[in-house]
Amino acid sequence: MPVFSLVLGFLSAAPLFLAVGVNPILAYRQVLGVFLNVDGLTESFTRGIPLLLASVGLCLPFKMNFWNIGAEGQLFMGAFGATAMVFLLPDSSAFVLLGSMIIAGFIFGGLFGLIPGYLKARLETNEVLTTLMLNFVAILWVDYLVYGPWRDPKGFGFPLTPMFPPNARLPWIPGTRIHTGLIVGLVCAGLVYVFLARTKWGYELKVTGESRLAAKYAGIDYLKLTLLVMFISGGLAGLAGMGLVSGIVLRLRHGISPGYGFSAIIIAWLARLNPLAVVPVSILFGGLLVAGDALQIGLGLAFATSQVFQALILLFVVGAEVLTRYKVALTWE
Amino acid sequence: MAFYVSLLAHTVQAGTPLLLGTVGEIYAERSGVLNLGVEGMMAMGALTAFTTSFYTGNIGLALALAMAAGALVSLIHAFLSITMRANQIVSGLAITILGLGLSGFLGKPMIGMIAPHLASFPIPILAEIPIVGPIFFSQDVLVYISIVLALVLWFVLFKTRLGLNARSVGENPAMADSLGLNVYLIRYLCVLLGGVTAGLAGAYLSLLYTPLWIEGMTAGKGWIVIALTIFATWNPLRALLGAYLFGGVIALQFRLQAIGIGTQAPQFLLMLPYLTTIVALVLISVEAVRRRMGVPAALGLPYVRGES
Amino acid sequence: MNGIVKRFPGVVANDHVDFELRAGEVHGLLGENGAGKTTLMNVLYGIHRPDEGEIYIRGEKVSIGSPREAINLGIGMVHQHFKLVEPHTVLENILLGLKEPAFILNLKHAADKVLEISKRYELPIDPRARIWQLSMGERQRVEILKALYRGANILVLDEPTSVLTPPETKELFRFIAQMASEGRSVVFITHKLDEVMAASDRVTVLRAGRNVDTLPRDQLEKTKLASMMVGREVLFTLRKSPVVAGEPVLELNQVTVMGDKGFPAVKNLTLTIRKGEILGVAGIAGNGQRELTEAITGMRPILSGQVRLSGKEIDRESISRRIEEGIAYVPEDRVGVAAPQGLTVAQDLVLRRYREKPFSNGVFLNQREIEGNAETLIREFKIMVSGKDATARTLSGGNLQKLILARELSGKPKLIIAVYPTRGLDVGATEYVRSLLLRQREAGTALLMVSEDLDEILSLSDKIAVMYGGEVVGTFPTSEANVEEIGLMMGGSLRKN
Repeated sequence: MPVFSLVLGFLSAAPLFLAVGVNPILAYRQVLGVFLNVDGLTESFTRGIPLLLASVGLCLPFKMNFWNIGAEGQLFMGAFGATAMVFLLPDSSAFVLLGSMIIAGFIFGGLFGLIPGYLKARLETNEVLTTLMLNFVAILWVDYLVYGPWRDPKGFGFPLTPMFPPNARLPWIPGTRIHTGLIVGLVCAGLVYVFLARTKWGYELKVTGESRLAAKYAGIDYLKLTLLVMFISGGLAGLAGMGLVSGIVLRLRHGISPGYGFSAIIIAWLARLNPLAVVPVSILFGGLLVAGDALQIGLGLAFATSQVFQALILLFVVGAEVLTRYKVALTWE
Repeated sequence: MAFYVSLLAHTVQAGTPLLLGTVGEIYAERSGVLNLGVEGMMAMGALTAFTTSFYTGNIGLALALAMAAGALVSLIHAFLSITMRANQIVSGLAITILGLGLSGFLGKPMIGMIAPHLASFPIPILAEIPIVGPIFFSQDVLVYISIVLALVLWFVLFKTRLGLNARSVGENPAMADSLGLNVYLIRYLCVLLGGVTAGLAGAYLSLLYTPLWIEGMTAGKGWIVIALTIFATWNPLRALLGAYLFGGVIALQFRLQAIGIGTQAPQFLLMLPYLTTIVALVLISVEAVRRRMGVPAALGLPYVRGES
Repeated sequence: MNGIVKRFPGVVANDHVDFELRAGEVHGLLGENGAGKTTLMNVLYGIHRPDEGEIYIRGEKVSIGSPREAINLGIGMVHQHFKLVEPHTVLENILLGLKEPAFILNLKHAADKVLEISKRYELPIDPRARIWQLSMGERQRVEILKALYRGANILVLDEPTSVLTPPETKELFRFIAQMASEGRSVVFITHKLDEVMAASDRVTVLRAGRNVDTLPRDQLEKTKLASMMVGREVLFTLRKSPVVAGEPVLELNQVTVMGDKGFPAVKNLTLTIRKGEILGVAGIAGNGQRELTEAITGMRPILSGQVRLSGKEIDRESISRRIEEGIAYVPEDRVGVAAPQGLTVAQDLVLRRYREKPFSNGVFLNQREIEGNAETLIREFKIMVSGKDATARTLSGGNLQKLILARELSGKPKLIIAVYPTRGLDVGATEYVRSLLLRQREAGTALLMVSEDLDEILSLSDKIAVMYGGEVVGTFPTSEANVEEIGLMMGGSLRKN
């Protein structure tokens, strides 16, 4: 069923192509072409890595009905932390530098995620709104750095840091052109899966997601659980940010993430909060991004095309999902 | 002196799209529906207005169609959240991505082009008043409309039956239902209002604020609208003040950059709207304040008759 | 109202009830929980449709399909749980749902009308005040004003004094008398004997869905009413084996617990339960029993006093700690709290125990142990379910309760708190649950059982405590129990400490 709505959503873009004077068949052929050649696939995987990490992280808070909309901001903070390491330890070995970048990325993202977690657990402050606002604080913070103190003096005034030196770049998986962030991502997906299915915190998440009162009855400490989960979730989004600056873009710049944190929400939701299902979905979305590029270059379409696909697919899936769930109880008034 | 006058005039202009978007979003959220799709609706409004103006030169038509576009997009969100009871966050985000995507996609051919604009429309006599005149009374039509709209919507929300019903539906839908109010219809109407004003706000952006069409017309203003809705504690009058406050921040950082002052850190200024909103959120979480001006109790929760 | 029958799944709430209300009369409706009083009035108010029976208002047969229609007929009802929107003002709440003024709320006009009514009946209120600022007594006044504003001349009050202070109660009855003197009629639902005797012109007693009798004022006698309300002659063969009670397991000393409505729900309560002893807490629901059990189990904080478990003070301990110490809790809310519906049976069977040794080692859960536990318990307690991996949602009420008991009892608790343990269960399940509790008692566990079923209390408990108004108004061994006296205590008319 989800596959069906996926395809439907995809195809519904056809009239749009016509509206801008483009032959939809050509467009679709371009898109399929992305998935059917090695370079396109590789790019899909690469682009999908930050999505994978962030989405996997979101499975945790969503499971307990904690709506973390702040993955984007946590991603930026992770990118910030990783870049800070490059400035701090520029001459270390790749091993040390990359290691510290990974740790910093995770910690900065995680700490940033603790803020809304604490506010909700202690004060019942609405987490949707706090996480949403914090996104922009983080984005602006990075802007400050790349327009200001961290700006590349040889960058013609553009808001970006100098290119990362070789010891700060994530190496590629041997034999491919995908950076090792993919391994990290897959490992994290596995770990989160085990966390959810096998550990006592996974159990606590399930119970809390059912009812906070039931969780209280079971003796679950909501504060501790929220803080733990938001630290991990923010941390994984931070890792996504680290992967972005160290594996793909190779520097920190304005707009380092074009909304990956928001797409991650949708991916997590589409995957029904199953970390393993997140993997293929994020690769798919990565592919859509690549397709967007291809369509831009090949047919002169806006890069926003991939967003359109994303949204249409999502809308159709949401619609189908709710239809099946409420097939019997659909009351109009 | 002239610097300040033009700064304040710019503040009003910067605040207007925020004000327009917020007053509608206030109604949507007051009725209990969280609408995260404002950014997308504004983008669609901007696109529709620009395209209409470009091809027909008729500003009035452009505004009308922009409102219709916003309404149409919000209808999708309303349908998904209210009737289908889907997750309002996911639905809203989908709308934002859709709106942003569509407007970017369909607008591509027009990048860099210029369309007939909203002209400034000084109110006779009033525009002559020193200082206040140029700031408030020498603006374009939409500025005046936005102020009047805020006042009218404030009155409707707090002094009329329509407003009372809308507010009750968002606080205690079960009770409202038992008293005979049509919860679904009221929510639909409020969300549609949100869409209409968002479309209008977007139209303002493309017909006045930016001289030509670029990718990313809305530049996050939709998210500021959501922040402003909270900051104004869901009250259109406070939204009026808040919109100009936030608008002032935008205008100020623009000016400062142009002059060269504080190029060090204009971003911190821009962070203010978001940070102050978070502070406001924490403050209204405190039980005592929550009762008086807190989040509408049923915000974000789909209503199912017979449950609870 | 003639021959009203109202059925709900599993129970006949109103069983051919006749009820007559005269003009200018104050009519008390008396009964225990579940007697059908509120249901009957809800039928009158249009919230429920009767399955059988007819309603006549002033001689004319009517069909009341919704509260709107009831209001149009001049019927107003003030429920136990107020239907007010907290952030709104008094005026806004009163005006909500009315047809006119249709557009602009003429607040001045409405305020004047409200003040006029309020003055006439001496119910002082500030129309511009917001609900959350008001005390419970004031909120009730708003509800009354709401009904009066809509022109009610039949006013139904459901347990009105449960939220009032004594002076406020006096005020309320003065108001009721004033209403009656104007020719309007008032029905008030209560379980309090003193009130009903003092204020009513007539009293109707309902029991188990039936109208026992209606008595006029001059025939009202406390003991008669109490036994009508509570009903049975109690002679039960005690199938209990005599158990010598051991040292105290639970001691509550001067415990005060805050309720949800802003005032203490439990006041300076003292009681003791010993090993191998069942303490039955009797009383009409809403007199502090729930808050008491929540305080003991840790779900609700204590304002003052001490709670000791086997001599150790536990009132500051976390819920998980108390679980560890051996407190088992079978709460009132099975579906939402004690057995979350979305989890599997196996998962629910370790809900409070998942931190314990075989089930978890601190980080990981031992799936095999959990499943083994589930299989054992399903077998032992004969829980009817398709499998240990079935969702809790698929269980029937009786089996869900078995699940909860299985879990709580298998942890070898020191103290079991059971709230309405057999509510809604069929005869077989009820028998089974009761025998389980008795067996625990023989094994030396201390039990606190809250029940609204006097039979159950009388047959299972060693000691009985009757709660009224947040206090224990009588404690005595079951052997000394006198049903009439218990009825009086439940109605607040007798103290026997």
